Amino acid sequence: MIRRTHPALSAWAWLVYGFLYLPILVLIIFSFNDSKFGATWAGFTTKWYGVLLAREDVREALTNTLLVALSSTLISTVLGTLVGLGLWRYSTRFRLPLTFLLVTPIVIPDVVMGVSLLMFYSLVRGGLELTGWTFENGFWTVMFAHVTFQISYVALTVRSRLAGYDRSLEEAARDLGASSVQSFLRVILPLALPGVLAGALLAFTLSLDDFVVTYFTSGSGFRTLPVLIYTSVKKGVTPDINALSTLLVLFTVVAIVAANAIMRPRAGRGGDS
Amino acid sequence: MKRLLILALLGLTACHRIERTDTAAEGQGATTPAPVERNGGRVLRIIMWSDYIDPDVVKQFEKQEDARVILDTFESNEYMLAKLQGGGASYDLATPSNYFIQVMARARLLQPLEAQKLSNFGNIGAGFLNPNFDPGNVYTVPYQYAATGLAYNSGRFTPSSESWKLIFGDTDTVRFSLLDDPREVIGAALKYLGYSVNSSDVAQLREARDLLRRTVSKRGFESFSGGPEVRNKLLAGTLDLGQIYVGDLLQGVAEDPNLKVYLPTEGTTISTDTLVLLRGSPNPALARKFVNFVLEGEVSAAISNYTYYGNPNTAAAPLLDPFLRSQKAFNPSQADLKSGKVEFINELKAGNTTRLYDRIWTDLKAR
Repeated sequence: MIRRTHPALSAWAWLVYGFLYLPILVLIIFSFNDSKFGATWAGFTTKWYGVLLAREDVREALTNTLLVALSSTLISTVLGTLVGLGLWRYSTRFRLPLTFLLVTPIVIPDVVMGVSLLMFYSLVRGGLELTGWTFENGFWTVMFAHVTFQISYVALTVRSRLAGYDRSLEEAARDLGASSVQSFLRVILPLALPGVLAGALLAFTLSLDDFVVTYFTSGSGFRTLPVLIYTSVKKGVTPDINALSTLLVLFTVVAIVAANAIMRPRAGRGGDS
Repeated sequence: MKRLLILALLGLTACHRIERTDTAAEGQGATTPAPVERNGGRVLRIIMWSDYIDPDVVKQFEKQEDARVILDTFESNEYMLAKLQGGGASYDLATPSNYFIQVMARARLLQPLEAQKLSNFGNIGAGFLNPNFDPGNVYTVPYQYAATGLAYNSGRFTPSSESWKLIFGDTDTVRFSLLDDPREVIGAALKYLGYSVNSSDVAQLREARDLLRRTVSKRGFESFSGGPEVRNKLLAGTLDLGQIYVGDLLQGVAEDPNLKVYLPTEGTTISTDTLVLLRGSPNPALARKFVNFVLEGEVSAAISNYTYYGNPNTAAAPLLDPFLRSQKAFNPSQADLKSGKVEFINELKAGNTTRLYDRIWTDLKAR
């Protein structure tokens, strides 16, 4: 018999949720505020959404953000999944150093990551210039920079998803006549899939709101939304940015609900088999 | 902490960068031909504070020169410096604050702008010529400036005098905030005590520290806040008096005409943002054209009418928005600038003085 939650505990829970979500609620309400500085309520309006849609820089930044997020998520999910599987499956003396390397991008400060990538790119460019080739920082440098920290998150979620499973599952499949490709596709991958999807979602979100690394690796003229928003903070955030944030929150909620809908039945099937 | 890290990293990047520029741009600071070809000579890259130029002015320049302007933004001088030193982005022009010029020059990020050769250079007001952060205007042209004043909402609060006394004096009833910037806050205290904002005198700084300790422990002290935040609090009426950059406050007057700002009688601080030509500039010729364009009276006035920040251009003065011209705080008198009553914030002497300022600031923030 499960005991009912103590009222004090549920009150505490409400408090915590309030603390987490009230600021977002305030932001959403103020995106409908008819005041340029948004300090006081000056009446209801939807004009900021119009202003937002008319801003070319915002549209461009949004496109850049999504392009980077989607492509880097794709690459890092494939690479990260392979790393995660490898770590789970093989025990070599490189396992510890490899795990250490995977954790590093998660724990080091963004600034260190951003500046070191920036220096790395200039070194590469310097080397390439000798051969007559050159490149400018922009989409590609940002995208690969994102991949470098996303891989860690994907690999670690995939590995922890698989950690509970016995490695002999694959051997059993092979004994029953599955080829290595078959056993990978029909046994290992379905087991790992929730972890892969969770890792991909995590990677996507991280890319979506990364400022520091993007700022340093973006070169000139390539701006993502977080860079656009963060660099305008100094002069005060205008209400059209509230409108933009509201839309992003909405987008995230829809994405999470959709992800849940996709992942739930699969997880159930995994449990049955 | 973040800034500390960036600065530590700069130490590392500096060696690398210097090596690069030595081989790339030996001689009179001209750039290598390669990047010019890369950009076709028709693209100008500027990195500046956000919302700091009238977009119409940029369009006008693009049309006039048949060029494209890429405008990137930065949030603090430190971030901009780190990005430039890393060498990942090639910009033509930047708008650092005056106390950052020597840091950038030492890091060999600047090349001479030769502003005196520009036809519109004569438009710059005498108070802004030959500044001590850049003797002879070798590297810089003043772009816009910000004096620091005290702001209030006249609908809710009437200051009894235009003095720093309301904050630093004995009264304990005024709700006030200070800027979240060590040089501004310590500078204000120094000015109130009758010293220079760039003081390196230990006794004077100790006096300022004691004054500030008393000040922030007052009941009325609200917080250390940035300009836009102060403006919003004054609009909302949760604050009586706030230290603020004049431009930030004036932008809010359209929202509520009761917003007022004054430059305290004891004197105050001022800082200029400057236009500088970067050493790696892919297109120095176009960059110089842009600087000259900005120095035109009409263009310069249009920018100030958009940003509400101070204007160092004498040709622009009669073209400024009548509202701006009517604001005493918008235009400190040339006399006050020359006498140092309204005093430029300069780079501190390295070592001891910097440490002293840091310690005072940490001490205040920890309270």
